[in-house]
Amino acid sequence: MKPVREMTEAELAAFVGQHLRERGIRVVLSGGMCVTIYARNAYVSGDLDFVPEVFVDRRKVSAALLEIGFEHHGRLFKHPESPVWVDIRTPPLAVGREPVKQICELVFPTGTLRLISPTDCAKDRLANYYYFNDRQCLEQARLVVEHTDVDLAEAERWSVQEGQEARFAQVKESLLEAERHREQRSAARQTE
Amino acid sequence: MLEPLLGSQDAERALLYLYCLGEGYPRQMARTWGSTFSAMQKQLERLEAGGVVYSRRLGRTRLYRFNPKYPFLAELQTLLARALTFYPDAERQSLLMQRQRPRMAGKPL
Repeated sequence: MKPVREMTEAELAAFVGQHLRERGIRVVLSGGMCVTIYARNAYVSGDLDFVPEVFVDRRKVSAALLEIGFEHHGRLFKHPESPVWVDIRTPPLAVGREPVKQICELVFPTGTLRLISPTDCAKDRLANYYYFNDRQCLEQARLVVEHTDVDLAEAERWSVQEGQEARFAQVKESLLEAERHREQRSAARQTE
Repeated sequence: MLEPLLGSQDAERALLYLYCLGEGYPRQMARTWGSTFSAMQKQLERLEAGGVVYSRRLGRTRLYRFNPKYPFLAELQTLLARALTFYPDAERQSLLMQRQRPRMAGKPL
């Protein structure tokens, strides 16, 4: 196993997620690190936000993370060899007000990472734009669409459910443009 | 009213305060309910860790609001509305009738 100081953020996420799972704690990565992964590092997050699938005693989580060298910093955890913060959130795993239905898995040399899908990742970023007017998150949603296959029809359906139809309409063209960029890049790669 | 569910009277009071007034800071909530700052702050921190509320700094105070991303927010607010109807008139009025309109800087009243 690679030492923690040599792991990328995604490898560290996989390492932590797999270790917690081996200790009976099923967690899913959510938040900004999913943007980092899906947008191929076009955005870099400094923390790993894990959400347990069911309620779990924080003492159990803490004991599991201490086993692999993490230290407590208030309610967060940090490994002395990494600048990345780990936060174990409170369930439920949700995007806006809807439960997350699809969990993706990515395999790294350090373990298997379970994370929200690219579409849910984009929706999660859009939620921050809708509810907190956070334009950084709108840009992150755009980056995810530009680098990964996102179901924009689903994002639109969800936005309507959240009561954000008008806000989605304002950003739809920008997201479609990002999708076109991705498709053009993909087509160019295929003709090479 | 909801203490058996929420596990704390101050948590109920903090949530009712936010339900009625939209936002607030711990000292203001504690003063309204005759509670202590530390007890109110502890409950708000717990609610924030659970994703029910969020906070942001405003000068030296920390202002709390309901987290619009909390998946059970609509249901929680329905429950709070129902709980509020069981409160004595005097307590309900003192909560609802707090001045919310702006006051120009320097105005004595």
